[in-house]
This record gives sequence, C-alpha cells and structure tokens, in this order.
Amino acid sequence: MAKERPPKGLKGWAQGRSLWILQFCTGCGAVELPPVMTSRYDMERFGITPMATPRQADLLLITGYLTVKTLKRVIRSYEQMGEPKYVIGFGSCTVNGGMYWDSYNTIKRLDLYLPVDLYIAGCMPRPEAIIEAFNRLIEGIKQGKFNGWIRYKENLRWYKRNQAMIMDIRKWSIDKKLAEEVWREVQEERRKIFEQATVPHVYEYAERISEVG
Amino acid sequence: MMELEKEQAVVNLVKEAFEDAEADVQRARRVRIKIAPNRVFPLVAFLKANGFNHFVTITAVDWIKDGEIELIYHLWSYTRKVHVMVKTRIPRDGGKMPTLKPLFNQAETYERDVHEFFGVYFEGNEKLDRDFILEDWDGPPPMRKDFDTRRFAAEFYGQEDIESDLLKLKIQPYKGKLMQ
Repeated sequence: MAKERPPKGLKGWAQGRSLWILQFCTGCGAVELPPVMTSRYDMERFGITPMATPRQADLLLITGYLTVKTLKRVIRSYEQMGEPKYVIGFGSCTVNGGMYWDSYNTIKRLDLYLPVDLYIAGCMPRPEAIIEAFNRLIEGIKQGKFNGWIRYKENLRWYKRNQAMIMDIRKWSIDKKLAEEVWREVQEERRKIFEQATVPHVYEYAERISEVG
Repeated sequence: MMELEKEQAVVNLVKEAFEDAEADVQRARRVRIKIAPNRVFPLVAFLKANGFNHFVTITAVDWIKDGEIELIYHLWSYTRKVHVMVKTRIPRDGGKMPTLKPLFNQAETYERDVHEFFGVYFEGNEKLDRDFILEDWDGPPPMRKDFDTRRFAAEFYGQEDIESDLLKLKIQPYKGKLMQ
C-alpha cells in the first residue's frame, strides 16, 4: 500500500477553503472565538464555520488548558473526526502548561497526546493571531504541509503510550486491543510515580519563605 | 456592640443548646462554632431548624503537624443574614465522619469532593467510592499537604527535561490495523 499523503494542489485548495471547526471549547481561549466568528473578523470569508459534531468537522481547536478529564473527551472526539483533520493548539497552556505548569491535573504539552499542526502563542491569542493561524493553515493545506492525522496513525502506539501514562485509555480508545496492551505496559511506571507522590513531605512554610526571600 | 446583635443572638442560641460547643463572632455576619465530630450532625440539624436552611459547602484544611483534618461546614441563613462555620477536627489517618445527607441532599456531592481531594471517609454516603472529579486516580489525595504537587506534575506529565525524555522514548511505527 502506498504511503498516505495529505491532499494538495486543487484538492488541497478545496480542502483548505472549507474547514469546519469542531466546537469543543476548553479553557479560556473559547472567549476569543466569538469575535473571530462574528462580523468584525468574520472567519466565514475563509470558509471556516463552526460545526456541532466531530464526524462532520475538519479542524479541532484546543482553546486553552486541558485537564486529564477533558483530554479523554477530546481524544474520543478527535478519533471520531473524519480525515483529513487538523489540530490547532491555542496559547501557552497547550505548549508548556502555561500558568498551570505545576498543576496535578492539567497536561503540560499537548503534542504528546495529540498531533498538533499549529500552535498559536499568547495567553490568550488575540483574534488577529487566530486569523493569521487560519491563513497559514489554509496555505499549508494547499501545499500539503500538514499531516497530523497521518502522524497520529503511524505513531499510534507512541501516542497511546503517552495517553495511557495519564489516563485509563481502555475506556477511551476505539482500538481496545492496543489500549489493553499499552495500559499493561505503563502500569509499573505509573505505580512508581504515584508511590513517590505519597512520600511524606512536609513543607515548612516559614523556612521556604525565608529561602525565597 | 450594637452592630453585632444578630451574630451574638446565634452564638447564644448555640451555646444554650450545646454546652460543649465553642462559639464566637468572627466579624459582622460571620460566626464560628467548634465542636466534636460526633456532635456535628445534631448541631447542623439544630441550625437547620433555626433558620439556617442554605447549606453552602464543605471545605477542609489539612493540619499536617497536628495529624488532623479540619472539616468546615458552611451554612447561611436568609432570615438571620448570618453565615455560620461549623468546624470540627478528625484524625488524618482513618478519620471518619457521619454523612449529612439526611439533612441536606447536596451534602452528598460536597462529601464526595472532600473525599476525593482530602481522603476523608464519610460514613453512610453511598456514592463516595464512585469517580467524581479525578477519574482513574490511583494516587494519594492531591490536596493533602504531604502530596508533592510540583514533583508529581513534573514526573507525571513529563514536564521537566522533556527533550531528553523524548529521545529516550523510541517511536515505534504502528503495525496493526489502522483506525478508519
């Protein structure tokens, strides 16, 4: 079987000019979308429009931080989307955790769990930045540059392993057999991390404050 | 003090009925009551009968040096315009509290929340062991003070030294049937 390639040329142009967004708004970046949608910035002039179901959508916007609980639903939605599909990560939370860098339940790097095609910097990005990202995405799709879903399929085991580290993927994956296998593989590592977190560790606040100064 | 009249009335009311309760006025519209864990249920029932019919929430504080967890039940009275905090301390390890579900239905949800984040066991709450906010959590309760959040976040989400971690993980191509 020939290696799968993203559409380009005429097909890519057509694909890039009719991107439908999956409305899965997480975090605070969703607030930036209404101005992008409405008359001021009007994303529909690029053929981009919101869509309610994952099976009809091409574009998944991760608009901010993701807790583990939300990530499960995001992965389920992403796997349901038809190909070709693209992912845009909004803001610093998807890049390195942003202001949630030391939180126990938000992910720090989105591209460990989902193939991200484009990141938009900022906390949160302005609508101009979002429009710029859309333009680049459309241009890139036309040239066949973005191949997130192909990377996801080719490295599925790697993605599943990363996902299994933070969640019980047996309940949240379409491929049950692989999920079971990967889940067993990471058990030892998970157990060790959870065990180390239970080490009695008393913060002496007065001392810590004097350390910081 | 004229302006703390309604708060003092609540304190007197509680002190009359419960001799073992320590009650005082913290500031305007706010009263604290300290009481033993087994007396919380009758006290809250008494407060409910005396106009405190808004059960706001349950919060907890981990007093790690004392080996105790302090539970705080917040109640508000629309008629008296007073916020009451009922405080009680239970042992950190193996401490149990009777559920307040018979008095206020919403207590069930708040107790599940405290159970997940502080590991407090509420006797009689049937939904306690179901997943609530932290699904598939195998570790210790994350809001306890001996939970090392920074270390956990760094290890669990591969935050620090991420480049070298990525090099260590071998990317294996998927050989099975691809998802359609």
